[in-house]
Amino acid sequence: MMKQLFPKQHVMGFIFSLALSVVALAVITFDMSYKMGMGILLVTALAQASVQLLLFMHIGESEDRRTLYTNIGYALFVGVVTILGTLFTMIWGYQIR
Amino acid sequence: MKVDETLPLEYSTEENQLKILGFWIFLGAEIALFSTLFAVYFTLENRFGTGPSAQEIFHMPPVMIETILLLTSSFTIGLGIHAMRLGLKKAMMAFFVITLVLGLGFLGVEIYEFVTYVNEGATIQTSAFLSSLMTLLGTHGLHVTFGLFWGTAILLQVRKRGLTPETANKSFIFSLYWHFLDVVWIFIFSFVYLKGLMVL
Repeated sequence: MMKQLFPKQHVMGFIFSLALSVVALAVITFDMSYKMGMGILLVTALAQASVQLLLFMHIGESEDRRTLYTNIGYALFVGVVTILGTLFTMIWGYQIR
Repeated sequence: MKVDETLPLEYSTEENQLKILGFWIFLGAEIALFSTLFAVYFTLENRFGTGPSAQEIFHMPPVMIETILLLTSSFTIGLGIHAMRLGLKKAMMAFFVITLVLGLGFLGVEIYEFVTYVNEGATIQTSAFLSSLMTLLGTHGLHVTFGLFWGTAILLQVRKRGLTPETANKSFIFSLYWHFLDVVWIFIFSFVYLKGLMVL
């Protein structure tokens, strides 16, 4: 019964997520450059988001999966352009002057 | 209504499939919403004026508790959907109750955190940094709060009507919403708290 209620994949995904959160803590426990820290955070955050999307949200299991991937891909594109575009005009461009 | 027995209940009718697709499109809009809030925060995070900076007000212990609570709740609702697909109504309901209790715990710690900030003189009106921070955290917290009511309503329906194509569909869509809130929190945890506490 326990085996049936706690599928191995889900348990592994959960442990993996917790481990990634602990790895992300490295950026405040160890002395490192800004670039290195941001790199670690990007990798751990994107990996965790992928676990949620692919494993827990079952994005790839229905027949319209291509529509879902396109939709989420487009939303992420809009999000990245919003954030980087804002930084480009409000922060990075300003500092050059 | 045509019910396809080979698919899980939540996908078993065309209407159900379209509702799930529709909810994914809504989540796309939510990604855009939170992106704008992150963009505002990244623009203003160093504009703290005479108020406290991120380094001064962020404390990791409550943030770690929030992270573990939300991460665990995301796991338990995943188990709830898994149990639902096995047709185990009681187990599914138990996992959903655990999820909502963990969500309530998260909200409690977040409210405690906000009260601590205000007591330290860091209100939403103190600086641009705090306005953008509290708008971002508040929008996420509001989503969690709404999720608690929504999840409770769905639980009551499942208890009353059992696992039908309708209630299974609603439960599955709620699980998508809950996982999405966990994803947003991961980005807040990484790029608000950890980034803010990085010693440069």
